[in-house]
Amino acid sequence: MGAAAGPAISARGIVKVFPGVVANAGVDLDVRRGEVHALLGENGAGKSTLASVLVGLYQPDAGEVRVDGAPVRLRSPRDGLAHGIGMVHQHFRLVDRFTVAENVALGDHRQPLLLSADRVRRAVAELGDRYGLPIDPAARIADLSVGEQQRVEIVKTLYRGVEVLLLDEPTAVLTPQEAESLFATLRAMAADGKAVVFISHKLGEVLRVADRVTVMRDGHVVGAVAAAGTTVHELARMMVGRDVDLSPRRAESPPGGPVLTLEAVDLEGSDGRRRLHGVTLDVRAGEIVGVAGVAGNGQRELAEVVAGLSAPTGGRVVVGGRDVTGRPPGAVRAAGLAYVPEDRLGTGLAPGLSIADNLQLTKRRPFFLDRRAATADARAVIDGFSIKATGPDAATRGLSGGNVQKVLLARELEAGPSVLVVASPTRGLDVGAIAFVRDLLDRRRRDGCGVLLISEDLDEVRALSDRILVLYEGAIVLERAGEAADLTELGLAMAGAGAAAAAGGARP
Amino acid sequence: MSGRPTGARRPRLERRSRVAPWLLVAVPAVSVAAALAVGAVALRLIGLDPLTVYREMLRSGFTTWFGFTDTLSSATPLILTGLAAAVAFRFHLYNVGAEGQLYVGAIAASGVALALGPDVPQAAAVVAVILAGMAGGMLWIAVPALTRAWLGTSEIITTLLLNYVALYLMRYLIFGSASFWRDPTSTNFPQGLRIPAAAEFPQYGTTRIHLGLLVAVIAAVLVHVALTRTRVGYELRVYGDSPAAARYAGISVRRAVLVALLASGALAGLAGAGEIAGRARQLDPQGLALGLGYAGIIVAALARYNPLSVMLVAVLLGGIRNAGTALQSLPGARVPIAISTMLEGALLLFTLGGELFVRYRLRTGRSPQPAAGPAEASAGAPAPGVPASPAEPPPASAPGPAPASRSEQP
Repeated sequence: MGAAAGPAISARGIVKVFPGVVANAGVDLDVRRGEVHALLGENGAGKSTLASVLVGLYQPDAGEVRVDGAPVRLRSPRDGLAHGIGMVHQHFRLVDRFTVAENVALGDHRQPLLLSADRVRRAVAELGDRYGLPIDPAARIADLSVGEQQRVEIVKTLYRGVEVLLLDEPTAVLTPQEAESLFATLRAMAADGKAVVFISHKLGEVLRVADRVTVMRDGHVVGAVAAAGTTVHELARMMVGRDVDLSPRRAESPPGGPVLTLEAVDLEGSDGRRRLHGVTLDVRAGEIVGVAGVAGNGQRELAEVVAGLSAPTGGRVVVGGRDVTGRPPGAVRAAGLAYVPEDRLGTGLAPGLSIADNLQLTKRRPFFLDRRAATADARAVIDGFSIKATGPDAATRGLSGGNVQKVLLARELEAGPSVLVVASPTRGLDVGAIAFVRDLLDRRRRDGCGVLLISEDLDEVRALSDRILVLYEGAIVLERAGEAADLTELGLAMAGAGAAAAAGGARP
Repeated sequence: MSGRPTGARRPRLERRSRVAPWLLVAVPAVSVAAALAVGAVALRLIGLDPLTVYREMLRSGFTTWFGFTDTLSSATPLILTGLAAAVAFRFHLYNVGAEGQLYVGAIAASGVALALGPDVPQAAAVVAVILAGMAGGMLWIAVPALTRAWLGTSEIITTLLLNYVALYLMRYLIFGSASFWRDPTSTNFPQGLRIPAAAEFPQYGTTRIHLGLLVAVIAAVLVHVALTRTRVGYELRVYGDSPAAARYAGISVRRAVLVALLASGALAGLAGAGEIAGRARQLDPQGLALGLGYAGIIVAALARYNPLSVMLVAVLLGGIRNAGTALQSLPGARVPIAISTMLEGALLLFTLGGELFVRYRLRTGRSPQPAAGPAEASAGAPAPGVPASPAEPPPASAPGPAPASRSEQP
């Protein structure tokens, strides 16, 4: 802990250009030892690019990175590690079949030729104790939960002696409780004299964990403030550049009759594992039912069973009064259901095909296609939804995230469905597009459409839902009214502690 | 490209944000030029003047009437095998068995022609031969197609291996047995029975162009229309672009695989029928084994899997193939026939290498000026288009050919 006063790592005038996009346009950043520094910005603001430059993954086109005040050239993440800079990526870089200890030792050139598993294990356990990262060094990665895998990633960097740790959207995969314990770890690391960079687009958590916040927009830094002296509103305005209303919305009138009913739906995977277990729910006209849960607890399977993409192994699915159990997607759609999958570009849309082609994807097609009508359709959608595209023939691959979602929503809403299944509809969108999508769903609700909103993002579920269900290991473990839902209770249910939540609701 | 030359860096590939239309023409043109350059080096090494040889190739293949009609005749099967490869490869179904499907199409076509005998009206016989060829090709790809659709087996391996089965089947029918196809009267060297005149494709004037050319052109247009204007083609395009999207849309992925592969086999079999009824007029195991099926892959790749471009590329390749034979008889020069095989191989390599440069650009220095404006390319950071880390550059196969082309152009 040498120069305590100066920043541990700083960026000076970083410029990074990708074809067609200026990701960083002269960015400055100072991160001191002993602080948790949040890097806040919308998707595409340039946060991840800046982080990648700081760890040596990208080389900047201009500007320099300084470690303890001295300019360094980082040619690779290995260079970064050598300077004590490490990163935990959104997508973990772990070998599934290796144990925790093996993953920690992987790629560490200080290891002797014959790996001393014992020494690594002891080190892992020790680091875990010190920073509140309980982890079994002998466990296989494949057997760990996402939250535990993230701990392994953090331990991995600590083991390499990292003094500057960057985390890219680390809470995206965590339950609220797991996020709290991550925050505790990060604060412990800061207290230990390390510099922590916390990348996020979520305002609330940034204020909870960070000491200082640097806000980015369109590749520029728009401000750096102390967390204690700012508010969610001020940060939102800095991040977006204008005021946005993202306050929760609920139905204004009581819902009508059920438009979608699931009765004791079971689903077994091809490997014989149970994916859905006795799921019973109904969605009534004019309400939004949110399904929350940690990724991989059956959300995708639930959506696919409802949309007719997989046949349940037990139970019934009724859409608009028609039993569609095990019927193909076309039949389910004919019964009045539309489905906006989470994987927009790749499942909901064919990325290489044009907007015009994609708008026909879930429609009835005559043998000879009517290309003129398809083009006219596409023009109308592009105008009606103000989609930024070069024209009806533009491939959807080239559109921004918000415009991709507009194309998808436009198509699925055009048929005037009575039930809409949407999976993570605002994930990865910028704030403007999020507001647009929420508004659209809210308007459909008022028009009497029943919406099943499935998402891993609790904020997204809470912002719109009239009722919230929690899916855990393929079963619904909790149901609460939207406005009454308590974050702690939801979080515990998502983590599988539904019973405990009902009993005490104590924070871990 | 006004990048400041700060520090030499190793060249790297960056994905192009948008592919300019001219690249789609320029890259194949450069690929062809590079292949010719490589051929020139080889010719020079064996003591020939490349310019003379190329001029002679141009003359014998394209600029004389006789040469050009011969080229069209050679291009006829290449159009069909090119289409066969295009309708499969375009949707990431790699049917490399057009060769075998062509043989079986030829066996079926000649079998039907022989069975019908001389007393059937020509129109009926010709149609029967065409249908038989297509059926033969489809039969030969049926097992790979079905196992791919239901069991997920690699069609590359199954179709490739069946090529050898088809080759030996054809040889057996003529050389190894007293089969229905074999001419019992040929005493010195075994050969196929000549098909009745009624089943032959009519020829045009004194040229070697036959009905097969018209059939091939019609096939190309039909494939193009089917792919762009019909439901079947639409579903194939969705499947080829994203199988997950096809499943989401309720398109049967199995049916898409079957349709594309069976169509591919039918087109290859049709090529076999054309070779029988338009050129060989008998099942001729030696004369049919020209690698037409494999050459179709080159044609399709050069044509970027576009059915209409396939026709042009087939003519180009047909000319090169013909020239090989013509050059052999060039007085005094003794050009080896292998020159056309070599050019074909070079063409394929450079085309496949060139494909990479359509999608990626080679960068050595600093970044170019930003394309001013579009900053809304959000969706999870602008990064993903670019190779994520130095540790994982895009397809490793490609960077080879390009530097070679530069060093070998003297």
